[in-house]
Amino acid sequence: MTLPEFTLLRPRNLPEAIDSLDRHRGDIQVIAGGTDLVPSLKQRLFAPRYLLDLKPIRDLRGIRNGHGLTIGAMTTVGAIADSPLVAEKFPVLAAAAAAIASPVLRTTGTLGGNLCLDTRCLWYNQSPFWRASCGFCLKKDGKVCHVAPGGEKCWAVFSGDTAPALLALGAEIEIASPRASRRLPLADFYTGDGMARIKLAGDEILTRVHLPESSAGLRGAYFKYRLRGSIDYPLAGVAVALDLAPDGTCRRGALAVTALNPKPQLIPGAEAALRGSRLSDDLLDRLAELTNRAIKPLSTSASTPDYRRHIARVFVRRAVRQAWQA
Amino acid sequence: MPETAPGFAVIGKSAPMLDGKARVSGLAVYTADMTLPGMLYGKVLHSTVPHARIVRIDTSRAGALPGVHAVVVGNEFPNRYGILPIGHDEAAIAVDKVRYIGDNVAAVAADTEAIADEALRLVQVEYAPLRAWFDAEESMRAERDLIHDDRPHNIEKHYSHNFGDVDTAFARAHLVREDRFRCPAVTHAAMEPHATLAAMQIDGGITVWSSTQVPYYLQRTIANVLEMPESAVRVIKPAVGGGFGGKSEVCPLEVIAAMLSKKCGRPVRITYSREEVFFTHRGRPSQIVDLKTGVDRDGKILAVAAATIQDGGAFCGYGPVTVLYSGNLLAGIYQIENLRYDGFRVLTNKPSCGAMRGHGTVNMRFAFESQLDMIASQLGIDPVEMRRRNLLKPPCFTVNNLRVTSYGFPECIDRVVEASGWRERKGKMPRGRGLGVAGSHYVTGAANPINRSDMPHSSVTLKADRDGAFTIYSGASDIGQGCDVMQVMIVAEVLGVDPSRVRLVAADTGTTPVDLGSYSSRVTFMCGNAAKRAAEELKKEIYRVSAEAQKASGKPIPQNFDEALRLALEASGVIVAHGHYAPPEAARGGHFKGAGVGPSPSYSYSAQVAEVVVDEETGEVRIEKIWAAHDCGRALNPVAVEGQVIGSVSMGLGQALQEEMIWRNGFLMNPGLLEYRSPASCDAASPDIESFIVESIDPEGPFGAKEASEGSLAASIPAVANAIYDAVGVRIMELPLTPEKILRALKQKKKAAA
Amino acid sequence: MRKELVDLSINGRRHELAVEPNRTLLDVLREDLRLTGTKCGCDDSSCGACTVVVDGQPMLSCLLLAVSYQDSQIQTIESLATQGELGALQRGFVQEGGSQCGFCTPGMVMSLHTLLESTADPTEEEVRAAISGNICRCTGYMQICRAVRHAVAEIREEEIREKERLHA
Repeated sequence: MTLPEFTLLRPRNLPEAIDSLDRHRGDIQVIAGGTDLVPSLKQRLFAPRYLLDLKPIRDLRGIRNGHGLTIGAMTTVGAIADSPLVAEKFPVLAAAAAAIASPVLRTTGTLGGNLCLDTRCLWYNQSPFWRASCGFCLKKDGKVCHVAPGGEKCWAVFSGDTAPALLALGAEIEIASPRASRRLPLADFYTGDGMARIKLAGDEILTRVHLPESSAGLRGAYFKYRLRGSIDYPLAGVAVALDLAPDGTCRRGALAVTALNPKPQLIPGAEAALRGSRLSDDLLDRLAELTNRAIKPLSTSASTPDYRRHIARVFVRRAVRQAWQA
Repeated sequence: MPETAPGFAVIGKSAPMLDGKARVSGLAVYTADMTLPGMLYGKVLHSTVPHARIVRIDTSRAGALPGVHAVVVGNEFPNRYGILPIGHDEAAIAVDKVRYIGDNVAAVAADTEAIADEALRLVQVEYAPLRAWFDAEESMRAERDLIHDDRPHNIEKHYSHNFGDVDTAFARAHLVREDRFRCPAVTHAAMEPHATLAAMQIDGGITVWSSTQVPYYLQRTIANVLEMPESAVRVIKPAVGGGFGGKSEVCPLEVIAAMLSKKCGRPVRITYSREEVFFTHRGRPSQIVDLKTGVDRDGKILAVAAATIQDGGAFCGYGPVTVLYSGNLLAGIYQIENLRYDGFRVLTNKPSCGAMRGHGTVNMRFAFESQLDMIASQLGIDPVEMRRRNLLKPPCFTVNNLRVTSYGFPECIDRVVEASGWRERKGKMPRGRGLGVAGSHYVTGAANPINRSDMPHSSVTLKADRDGAFTIYSGASDIGQGCDVMQVMIVAEVLGVDPSRVRLVAADTGTTPVDLGSYSSRVTFMCGNAAKRAAEELKKEIYRVSAEAQKASGKPIPQNFDEALRLALEASGVIVAHGHYAPPEAARGGHFKGAGVGPSPSYSYSAQVAEVVVDEETGEVRIEKIWAAHDCGRALNPVAVEGQVIGSVSMGLGQALQEEMIWRNGFLMNPGLLEYRSPASCDAASPDIESFIVESIDPEGPFGAKEASEGSLAASIPAVANAIYDAVGVRIMELPLTPEKILRALKQKKKAAA
Repeated sequence: MRKELVDLSINGRRHELAVEPNRTLLDVLREDLRLTGTKCGCDDSSCGACTVVVDGQPMLSCLLLAVSYQDSQIQTIESLATQGELGALQRGFVQEGGSQCGFCTPGMVMSLHTLLESTADPTEEEVRAAISGNICRCTGYMQICRAVRHAVAEIREEEIREKERLHA
């Protein structure tokens, strides 16, 4: 398969990158590791005139310890999965990063790319010939959503693994632009719309992820449902982070999911349910039910919506139990 | 493992692939690795509609694009072909109508891939849509908009067989079970996408390099389509990156590359994208099996009635063979005196199905071995015992005239029962963990060739030359299964020379004698026998020529082979001998309609035990271990036999747990290796597989050898299904055995119990 | 499209090439440099056949834009045999049947090559994890695991022999 024609821009530093984005606004796309973007370009899901390669900007790479942890957006997910520092301070992130795709992709894919991952759907991630055969779809070149034909909304599903872990940890992201750089909770980054999935303007770049010191040392677990032991995107993913008192009571905790909605999300009410609780079947049932209410899986993937609901509930129970007893 | 089999110098000792070193060094040359001076890139335009008449194709803008050297459409080469003489129903590029999304509409040859892509975008096609048929049962009721006009109700083939007295046998049965099983389509997913390089020669001939399992059928087809004499078409098979049946009939790109090259007089290479491989398919059809089995009180099978519908896709392909294997081979593993079979091969507007490892037998075996377990459970008989009570008693002819000679099946069962600890562990494991057993079998080549004749199925020429080496000329196609080294081993063994002195020229229709191809597990037996005979002839000839020469000059007759060789070469310059193989008349089957498919000179057998753990909360299955025993007659090359057996099991486990071509509203949802889930190394479907070689020493196989590459696949699937039943008490009758289906069954069971 | 002049370091040699920015490293290796050992099995990062080693790490060359890798050391399957002599890992593959059709083999070997660089004696679990992005349709991975064991044993024996030579 050929790639579309484009001009590759390789800025040496962030200001140069921002400048290019600003100049070619609307006709330019950022490429990080390219593990998701390059196949999508081959499928002509995008055909920008310019590609902005962030690889040369060394400043965007690396894990810095300090008050909390700062991870550059261009840090590979493999480096995060292998980092003893991450494993020690934020085990749920290490687990989520290690669950991504396969080793040969983790060496290349980046944290920023994983957070900005395009939403996925069996009717969308296909070749131009294939998409033409079904008259295209709402997300790209068409008018109909084949998954929910009556609707106006795109239900393509967000399938990144690290986002739920970072949501559970209360991570913030830093975004650079021609204006001042801004910092926002990751939870505010996602729109829930399968088409315009993230709140990132055309002249903005996600540069860093900040993990708060207050979340360091939280117990965590990430459960990923997929049909194979590797390669596959998640069909459901559950991340949990817990702060337990010495007597086993939960002081603070959060639960987040991925691959079940057009956005990764914290489960509303989970934090309140966890606070001050002890591990019990009742609690787990309550969390499972809260999750069930928050998700809307549709037939965007190989697994059925019903089953993904079921597995989400089971994995919530298991992940919370495992984190609690870790 | 012993160094060699007793009494042999070469046979029985593991030998690496002939080009093993090249393969691990990146130096083996596959078709897509080849280029020629002036070579162009060919690309194919595919139909975006499933069933339509082509009203108009305008290629003028594509042809005018700079860098485009040829554009071709269907009506320029309208001669139909097909792998079976009764099914010449396809053209490489659609002539009047398209029959599936992905069908071939036009093709171009250009300086670069990008230009070719651009040219295809400029081709304008106008379609007049017809009703499309996606479901086999619905398609069988079609009255209009037929897929092929000469196939009423879209039925490609219907076979109806009745052996013995089935109704009487059912009437006296103690227990009769009727169950419906469903299997979705699966595909080969060989790692090498198809590729073809065709080069029209200035003298009017054409040379074609292609990733094929059947160079001689390809030669014949290209000659037919291009209207050239067969002798002007030379097909060469380079290294092939796996076939599994997917390259065992002519694929469109092979013919299209030749058309394009003929049109522009330059070499043209087409390499399929992975998506095109999926739309070319030719894999295992989606199949419904209605199976009825009657047994006596002791579990002895009295009668079997099977009815099946195979969704064959848009063309005939191997279809009639697939549906006949499903039926006729039912009789080849257990004693069945009364057998009825109704097999429908149905056309639909989807990519054509074809031969895939275990051709025709796999889905039927899943049904049969599952039902056998269900019956055993109802009768309170141990599943292993159930199978032992129904063994064949060879040598014998089955009720439908299959000749069974060597039969290592009982020993296969013994081996896996012992190794798995069946007797001690079955029924005593914690809930959620279970053991399952199943058997399977396969032909060792078809006793009747596709194009009926009495000619040899394999011929081998062997030449002794002055450098002291022996050169085998053989048409057999190594596609990764190791048949090249197999021939070298056989020749070295017979001649009593080191294998390093034996060379091989293979699979080049311009220089090697005909071998029908690498399909139906025929090569070791047929080509192996031909090679063995050639070597025996050569040896005789060397002694004869040298003895004559010595006699003429009054010298003593040589006693030593190398001495004889030297003298023979001195006398005649070169010594050549030939060997052939054609199956014996007795192995060629009966005389009913459809009797030609199923008969084989010999059958392989496999028994397997699977151990699984089922998570009852999620329905997820983990296969802990597979014990697989395979009767291969004699293991000429044990490492290769083991590799084939384990590889078959692995492919079976993929089909068992996770592989399926997902169709929604006529769209193939997973035409790629991300969503078509061939097992990866850490999967539930990639467990520890322990293989056991059982050697029944076939009376007619070369040194007693027979099939090793396919027969083990079919047992893996029901072994897992049976183990799941043993673990959690649910019976899944539809593949793949996904967590979803298991969970649903568990819920239903709980509900029924409540 | 305008080509760029690039300078790629492949198997220890520098190659100056004119390359369009939309060409993948896989394309450049196979077409421009005729290093056809690296295979294209899917072209969408799902199969691992195109695995090469970039700066010591296994990566899928079908994903990499060639012009972006000028500062990297790239290693392909063609580099592993020295003067026609196979490496221990390759010998293991040949001896144990780790390669049948051979199409996944170059990528598989490159993934395992990096594993053995960091882990001298990997467990079977580690071997399977290392190749979990490399699909093999032929072997069921059993004989690939054996090939690695074979190589590890051979390397260890060689080390022992080397030590004995030094002591002697």
